[in-house]
Amino acid sequence: MTSMDMAGFPILTAILMSTVLGLLVILFIPAERTRLIKQVSLSFASIGLVLCVLLYLSYDFHKGGLQFVERSLWVKSLGIYYFNAVDGINLPMMLLTSIVLFTGIWTMWELEYRVKEFFALIFLLVAGVYGVFMSMDLFWIFVWYDVSLFPMYPLIAIWGGTRKEYGAMKLTLYLLAGSALILPAILYLWVQGGAHTFDLFELQRIGFSVFDQRLTFLMLYLGFGILAAVWPFHTWSPVGHVAAPTAVSMIHAGVLMKLGAYGVLRIAMTLCPEGLAYWSNLMALLAVIGIVYGALVGLAQTDLKYVIGYSSVSHMGIVGLGLATMTVSGINGAVFQMFAHGVMTALFFSSVGYIYDRTHTKIIPELGGLSKTMPVASTFFILAALAGIGVPLMASFWAELLVFVSAVKVFPVGGVLALMGLIVSALFMLRVVQRTFYGDKNPRWEHIPDVNGFLAVPRIILVSIIFFFGLFPKFILDVVQSAVIPFVGRF
Amino acid sequence: MTDFFLFLPEFYFILAALAFFIFSLNKTAAPWALHRWALLLAGVGLVITVGASHQEGMIFFDCYRVDLFSQVFKVLLTLGTFWIIFSSSELKGIDPRQHAEFYFLIFVCTLAMMMLVSAVELLTVYVSIELSSYSLYLLVSMRRNADEYVETGIKYFMIGVTASALMLFGISLLFGVTNTTFIPQMIQSLPLLMSQPAAVIGLLLALSGFFFKLALFPFHIWAPDVYQGAANQVTAYIATASKMAAAALIIRFAGLSGGANPGLIKLLIVLSILSMTFGNLVALIQKDIKRLLAYSSIAHAGYILIGILSFSERGFAAAIYYAMAYLVMNYACFMVILKIAGDGHNLQIKELAGLHERSPLLALTLMLGLFGLAGIPPTAGFTGKFLVFAAALEKGYLFLIVIGMVNATISLYYYLIIIKAAYLLKPVKPYPALPTDSWTRYLSLILIVMMIYLGIFPDRFISLTEAAARTLF
Repeated sequence: MTSMDMAGFPILTAILMSTVLGLLVILFIPAERTRLIKQVSLSFASIGLVLCVLLYLSYDFHKGGLQFVERSLWVKSLGIYYFNAVDGINLPMMLLTSIVLFTGIWTMWELEYRVKEFFALIFLLVAGVYGVFMSMDLFWIFVWYDVSLFPMYPLIAIWGGTRKEYGAMKLTLYLLAGSALILPAILYLWVQGGAHTFDLFELQRIGFSVFDQRLTFLMLYLGFGILAAVWPFHTWSPVGHVAAPTAVSMIHAGVLMKLGAYGVLRIAMTLCPEGLAYWSNLMALLAVIGIVYGALVGLAQTDLKYVIGYSSVSHMGIVGLGLATMTVSGINGAVFQMFAHGVMTALFFSSVGYIYDRTHTKIIPELGGLSKTMPVASTFFILAALAGIGVPLMASFWAELLVFVSAVKVFPVGGVLALMGLIVSALFMLRVVQRTFYGDKNPRWEHIPDVNGFLAVPRIILVSIIFFFGLFPKFILDVVQSAVIPFVGRF
Repeated sequence: MTDFFLFLPEFYFILAALAFFIFSLNKTAAPWALHRWALLLAGVGLVITVGASHQEGMIFFDCYRVDLFSQVFKVLLTLGTFWIIFSSSELKGIDPRQHAEFYFLIFVCTLAMMMLVSAVELLTVYVSIELSSYSLYLLVSMRRNADEYVETGIKYFMIGVTASALMLFGISLLFGVTNTTFIPQMIQSLPLLMSQPAAVIGLLLALSGFFFKLALFPFHIWAPDVYQGAANQVTAYIATASKMAAAALIIRFAGLSGGANPGLIKLLIVLSILSMTFGNLVALIQKDIKRLLAYSSIAHAGYILIGILSFSERGFAAAIYYAMAYLVMNYACFMVILKIAGDGHNLQIKELAGLHERSPLLALTLMLGLFGLAGIPPTAGFTGKFLVFAAALEKGYLFLIVIGMVNATISLYYYLIIIKAAYLLKPVKPYPALPTDSWTRYLSLILIVMMIYLGIFPDRFISLTEAAARTLF
């Protein structure tokens, strides 16, 4: 199917509706029928997945630009448009979202506690995520952004683990404090643009004064940066990840944190290129600190989820660094890294989730020697760790390579420092792998069954995606590049 | 004859009040029968008011202005009244012998507030305010076991009459400097007189009377005690319908002023910031839900003021929209509270524990209402905040908006505490199952749909509020 064939069909709205309808259908199923709820959830998630894959395949990257545009006036007096479209930047993000949703729901197949509410909230969350990625109107981006944040509170506070209520509250308040900066910035741009449109591209054509760009860029960067776990606003992230249940961690680290980086790229960098030029050193500095700091703190952790949490801070630093370079390969790498990191952390959390569900511990010294009793579960984690290090053949290798090549060119000192951070992070990943999975067999875990075939499926999907894009990076870079080259040309 | 039709909704409410006056004379009617009658009369009143919503004109020697603005608010007022009466089926907070008086006072108060939103002459305004205030003083003191709450009634009355006295003094000063009580004429001459201290003091004193009704900081002191001390239905009425009238009055005055001087705007900005910040910070530590909602209402008065102090058509429209959204969300919260506290006691937050099992629908209604109050999309509350902020930013008050947003984040904390209680906490002692009749379920669904519809499809309502705001000038 080509984009021509699908011209009449509002595929983006259909993707959005796959989650909204999923939510509504789940609300009308009696709470006792947990199996049916799970089946319905998985079906709606797979509809989303199929549609996103179709969308990805039918996007014409030779032509580039916005495709599958759906645009209609929503609120006349303010100039709000229901405006959905995809280009090379949000297309991989949409694909990522559908993959993580699908595998996340499958991973939670064994959930038995308040099943109905869990999946309803997951769909609400993902509706928000899809919405942010596909909207090209500032009002809707903000609305969907907040929609994706507030289900996190009940999701963590009800189904979470360690210090769940504290983690949930901290996360929610931090992220909404971020939107306390985003909304004024959006409204400010709207007013400066003549107060008649929230359409991102119309605002881009109008253009803003240097002062306005610097001011709003900073507000947007800090606001979205909180969600992207930019140091020093990252503290909610490890706490939240540790507290959250498996699928929520997967969606949260895999997709939700990308919203932050995506917001910076889509709104702040599109509308305020002057602001980016002015603040890029700050961005690079905070990103480098994040990379190094995340790796160093991760080295000292004994809780598996904290380890992944801090490695996420470090990896999101790489995204920030790539964006700050303002070069084609840097931003290419950043977008690729968002995708690769999303899939990788989903795998990470999904394997830790399995281990935790069975052993009821995620403290590294207590585990030990797991590869002898649970070889399959261990393999998944070790593969994720290798992806985290950025081993060749894996998707994140290309992403990190692109970012660092351009970072070392643009910010020689920071780039080299960040590379050192990467070495530390390799060290700590390998250390975790060694302590958790190798060493002497721990008799406590001997009776625990390994991942069965059914539950292995979502993890295998994630692993194959990591390898697929590691072997054929062109498949994603062509798409991303089609959007990034004209984007960088405007700087 | 057309004059009569302009006054028809008010006239209807006079008759309805009279009916209950007669009921109150012979104490034979059973409480449930009274409730049916009240519900029927309020329902018909709502229909009549909606039917009269497109009328326009001036009556009573130009003291009384019927326009889209006043009619929109009359619809909101009667809707609020209808809802409150709907939730009064188990009026346990008030002695059964006084139920007829309760409905009588509710109808009188609604009548007074309907007059208030149309009045454009200071004495008419004053009479309407006093009529509504005196009904409320009585309603507040009607609570059963009044001994516990006797302080509340007296406090409300004392503070209320003091505010009235100040307002009357302010009005007399304004009359003294302008030689008129007709607001449109007064507004024309007032800007030239603003150099005179008497005019400034008069205006400020008159405004404080209005701010008292809205419970804006620093005129809020009565709110927490009255919310806590009054019977739950009365609190709900004060929190919904009476807030509409106060907001309408201030918007009407701001609209008639046709642009304010910078000093007044600065003052309003300060009041708005203080009101939001104070309300939200004190609400953080509350344990009693009604008291918490009282402080949250102080904060919301600040948000409404943000729209008003923009002094633009968009700002007034935003304030009207906000009031509309606030009515729906606040009533949604109160409906759940009234239902849970069926015996009329003051509900504590911890009593909500396990609500999601006792009644998932009520829990969902409460959650959406609270998220709406916190300003989380896709609810009406978010759109309301978005609109008032957009209007204020158009005037360049970026700093005010940032403070408003920070406040919204603070407020989220205490709303989340309530949601946590409803969805997470395990009840200490087992609470009985919560029977909900089908009407309550329908109303819950309607409220849920309204909150989301107003939030996602605001276009039609924004056009309506803008049309209403245009009639103000």
